[in-house]
Amino acid sequence: MSKIIIKDVMKAFGDVVVLNDFNAEFADGEFITLLGPSGCGKTTMLRMIAGFEKPTKGEIFIGEQEVSSTKTFVPPEKRDIGMVFQSYAVWPHMTVFENVAYPLKMKKMDKANIKEHVARVLEIVHLSQYAERVPSQLSGGQQQRVALARALVAEPQLLLLDEPLSNLDAKLRDSMRFEIKEIQKALGITVVYVTHDQMEAMTMSDRVIVINHGDIQQIGKPTEIYRYPANQFVADFVGKINFIKATSANGEVQFKDSNQKLPYDGELKGDVVVGIRPENLRFIKTNGDLKGTMVSQFYLGDVNDCRVDIGGEQIRVIAEPKSFDKHAEGESILLRVDEFSVFEDTGDDEHMKILT
Amino acid sequence: MKKLLVLVCVFALVGSMAFAGGAAETSKVSADGLGGKLLIYTSMYDDVIEAIDRTLEKAFPTVDIEFFYGGTGTLQAKIAAEIAAGKLGCDMLMVADPSYALELKEMGVLQPIMIDNTADIAFDYDKEGYWYPVRISNMVLAFNPGKFKKSEIPNSFYDFAYDKGVAGMVSMSNPLTSGTALDTISALKDKYGYDYYRALGEQKVKIESGSVALTKLETGECKVVMILEESVLQKREMDKSKIEVIYPTDGTIVVPSPIMSINDKWSPNKNSKAAKAVTEWFLSQEGQKNIVKAWMHSVSATYPDAPYDAIPTKQILANTIPVDWANTVTLREEMRTKFQEAVAKK
Amino acid sequence: MRSPTRSTSPSPLMVHRKWFMDPKWIIIALIVGFLLVFQVFPLLYLVFRAFFSTGKFSLAAFKRVYTYPLNWSALVNTLVTAFFSMVFGVLIAFPLAWLIGRTNLYGKKFFRTLFVATYMVPPYVGAMAWMRLLNPTVGSMNVFLQKIFNLSAAPFNIYTTGGLIWVLTGFYYPYAFITISRAMEKMDPSLEEASRISGASPLMTLRTITLPMMLPSIVAAALLVFIAAASAYGIPSIIGVPGQIHTVTTRIIDFVYIGSQEGLTDATTLAVFLMIIANIVLYLSTFTLGKRQYITVSGKSTRPNIVDLGKWRVLISMMVVLFALVIVIIPFITVALSSITVNLGEPVFSQGNMTLRYWARIFTRKSILSSSKNSLLSAIMAATFGMGISCMMAYLLVRTKVKGRKIPDFMITVGSGTPSVVIALSLIMAMSGKFGINIYNTLTIMVIAYMIKYMMMGMRTVVSALSQISPSLEEASQISGASWLKSMKNVTLPLIAPAIVAGWFLIFMPCFYELTMSTLLYSTNTKTLGYELFTYQTYHNQQTASALATAILIIVFGINWLLNKLTDGEFSI
Repeated sequence: MSKIIIKDVMKAFGDVVVLNDFNAEFADGEFITLLGPSGCGKTTMLRMIAGFEKPTKGEIFIGEQEVSSTKTFVPPEKRDIGMVFQSYAVWPHMTVFENVAYPLKMKKMDKANIKEHVARVLEIVHLSQYAERVPSQLSGGQQQRVALARALVAEPQLLLLDEPLSNLDAKLRDSMRFEIKEIQKALGITVVYVTHDQMEAMTMSDRVIVINHGDIQQIGKPTEIYRYPANQFVADFVGKINFIKATSANGEVQFKDSNQKLPYDGELKGDVVVGIRPENLRFIKTNGDLKGTMVSQFYLGDVNDCRVDIGGEQIRVIAEPKSFDKHAEGESILLRVDEFSVFEDTGDDEHMKILT
Repeated sequence: MKKLLVLVCVFALVGSMAFAGGAAETSKVSADGLGGKLLIYTSMYDDVIEAIDRTLEKAFPTVDIEFFYGGTGTLQAKIAAEIAAGKLGCDMLMVADPSYALELKEMGVLQPIMIDNTADIAFDYDKEGYWYPVRISNMVLAFNPGKFKKSEIPNSFYDFAYDKGVAGMVSMSNPLTSGTALDTISALKDKYGYDYYRALGEQKVKIESGSVALTKLETGECKVVMILEESVLQKREMDKSKIEVIYPTDGTIVVPSPIMSINDKWSPNKNSKAAKAVTEWFLSQEGQKNIVKAWMHSVSATYPDAPYDAIPTKQILANTIPVDWANTVTLREEMRTKFQEAVAKK
Repeated sequence: MRSPTRSTSPSPLMVHRKWFMDPKWIIIALIVGFLLVFQVFPLLYLVFRAFFSTGKFSLAAFKRVYTYPLNWSALVNTLVTAFFSMVFGVLIAFPLAWLIGRTNLYGKKFFRTLFVATYMVPPYVGAMAWMRLLNPTVGSMNVFLQKIFNLSAAPFNIYTTGGLIWVLTGFYYPYAFITISRAMEKMDPSLEEASRISGASPLMTLRTITLPMMLPSIVAAALLVFIAAASAYGIPSIIGVPGQIHTVTTRIIDFVYIGSQEGLTDATTLAVFLMIIANIVLYLSTFTLGKRQYITVSGKSTRPNIVDLGKWRVLISMMVVLFALVIVIIPFITVALSSITVNLGEPVFSQGNMTLRYWARIFTRKSILSSSKNSLLSAIMAATFGMGISCMMAYLLVRTKVKGRKIPDFMITVGSGTPSVVIALSLIMAMSGKFGINIYNTLTIMVIAYMIKYMMMGMRTVVSALSQISPSLEEASQISGASWLKSMKNVTLPLIAPAIVAGWFLIFMPCFYELTMSTLLYSTNTKTLGYELFTYQTYHNQQTASALATAILIIVFGINWLLNKLTDGEFSI
């Protein structure tokens, strides 16, 4: 019912192209996250689904209805969508109740019914006792939940969330993340969520769409995105990773600086970049895949964050905390590589330096 | 950003240069001891002032003569305020209302100036020399034959107020700001009573200056206006206008405008020597020539010519409505108030 | 707002050394002192004079003035014209601001510049034009409409209360337009988007969200128009007086012109009425509405959602074009054409009717040149001193928490809300030597009057610019080793320079062609351009006045264009 199809959508403001050939399909009841750095075009895509922007080219379908194409354009108010804005956009001249009741009033629902619906949704977002307050009397988190209640009250087929948590403090952000996910599960609606925070994307989404410079980089489940990143950008943007320049030949990748080797039976040959996530490296007594020298280690409580010199370059290793006592700086060590990715070397050094 | 600051600097510079430009003054004295500054308040129109100013500069190269213009009423307000503040701003006055001369003489701010050639003066003048008439302004009617036929137009002051055919399309000056207008409503009150003011009100007369009224004749917005003859004559000569003067059948109102000098106690430049010379010049043949050239009639009985396109002065004087000057002074406030009440919209 | 007792009367706390040493206090004391002497005292004296005209307390003057039918009709006319100008002004300004700020109207940028620029045009110029266009007998627009619609009589008469309201509205709605536009720009667009996504149509959103959110700004804008219209002199004296419609301002100036002491007392008594009205309005707009400010500045700058006018786009754009034509372009062209016409009763292009002699006149007449010089000089001085005070005030208000900094702020606000004619009258009475200061008949009194009336525009501009600059920028400079003064010069000043220049011109422009105060304050050698133009219009020669007005228009638009060009559109007036 609320399947969303985005076909060949392109958007340009004047000469500046902000989105290129966007193609995606969201299933009914799916939680989709558009993830990318600021300015990548993710908010523009969301606003096109909402109907605040017209695609320069391409079509958008919500359910069976074509809402946006060269021929048709359905205005936002006719799309049956709920939306939460980054600034919450809670109307300061109305009470909480009036704010939440607004979409129902637009649907010309009768008063008793409105009251019942609003009460129910305020219950869901834990704001029942604040119904008669005005927004200026509420905290940021409460205002945010008013916005959420308002977006949900009309039981839309689709809920859009534009960085809804970015203005909240860390603790509140954590709990809201789970609340939103819970509500989505309970109501079974389709959600499109925009964020630049990979943590939010990983924890909430069924599928993540990573966008950069107006292009889709990868679409996939959070685990796929994390474990099998399609390119260096995705690997780097989602989580931490060490990039090492290497050459691929004869079922092996050989690191250019240290000449150490890892077995590799993939298709890429010649100049490549090997990506190893710090938590996929383990200290081991014998039969190590890589040899190195401990440069520094920091005990963080839950992990031991180390820098290891593997001959010509340093890599980061995130080991289990107890390893801190077993090793000392300057000591020679062996490393086991549990998982790694190999990317084509595009000659772009943008990602090479990032270690943190 | 630099550009902006430069811009502001340029503005400031231009401003200060403009300011500094007027600062340099030369102090010369002629052979007969004339020099210094002389400031004249006048109600003459600026075109007239400009011409006379240039002639005076030639006649008195060593005296720095400056005119300041305003309606007579405006100047009276100014003078009242200046007297209250204890210092007058002018050395001489050439306003249009002779009654004002009587008042100022009474107040003791005027300087008596005795001149020789008084025999020619055809009008009353102050025998003690406090004021002399210097130019004749005539309050008349005017219309535009290009827009209306003369037969539609009233030809007397009486009909101006009572002919319903021109209601809403008549105009006259404001007695609050104009001296001749005050003299006019004074004379008309004496002849027709205060009823005349009410009639003007019912006629929906517009109160505005002569130049505005002339424009309204040109455009056809007004059918007939009560106006000074000189304004019409100037328009006829300068702009080749078709507007015609009507000398009212019930009499023209003749206003001999005085010239007065302020005594040394009150005047800013204390230049009574120059004031005397200028007064004499204005009353001389040369001065009267300039007056007549400026479309006003001469006060001299012997001056031969009338202004451009005007009928001879004698012919005008044959049919006038007299003004009681003393009465005009005493009843000034009352007449102004009654007039305002009568013409104000109900 | 606190009463100004702290800084003026010595309190026990003043003994504390630090209070003496703090230069901020000296600045406040200087500004407050200036305003006390030249603003508060004269205004109080004005009120005093109204009640004590004969030396002891008496209501005789009040009785005389307010039982006089002509004054009553003037009071009624003032309230009626100002009220309707306010209503119509807002009814015009709000839709225009919305269309230009929030929809895909054609030529938005051009219209914005055009409507904002009208704010800089002397209002009496418009009155001159409308007199020519809509007089009931031969007004060219009336004649045109008569021909088109085959009417037997002229449809409009400018010399009526309606005509006065029309011209007042046409020249004071930009005040509302600018205020409302600014508030609309500041409003977080997602507030409107939230309504759209909740199922409300654009019109519904306008009614239920935009309008109520903007209400405080709209009311503030309305009151601004009301005060401006109620204290206008140029328009009612050109349009109203020929039709015998007097307003309080024209009556006040008439009373002053009557010249007697009684006249002055009557003027004073009427002025008190105008002052009370203005103060009530000021109180309403600043203190009642100030508490209900909703306007929220959005965290991130999203471009506002542009409402698609759809099939109405062309029609509505045409209507705005028509509006601009009627309200702005036709009047200006009328004035410009008048300036080259000999006989205004004939078409300008008819034989021998075109001339440049009026233009030659404005560049050669001694009195016009000296008036221009006076205006230029006094406007430059008022703008420069005004900006000096504005910058100090802005710093005190935004960057410090000095007690009492609100006092001069309050006084400056009151000054700008006081009708011009009242300021001028009070200065004449208090500053002509009676109390030891005699600056009547000097340019100084003119400059002071201008500063009191227009300083606030400069102050508000600098305050808003300064409040957008984080104090950490100055602190960073001080940490880097620059002194406070150096930090101001190197960091703060360059950042707010555009605002300072903008503020300077906001003060300079209205002072340059000021009429109402100049009419009362001018003297032999301090006549100003505004007064000169007005005298030419009402006394000497309308074509010369038109030429002068056109010249002023060209200067105003020229400066605006130049600034825009030089700053790459960073600012215009």
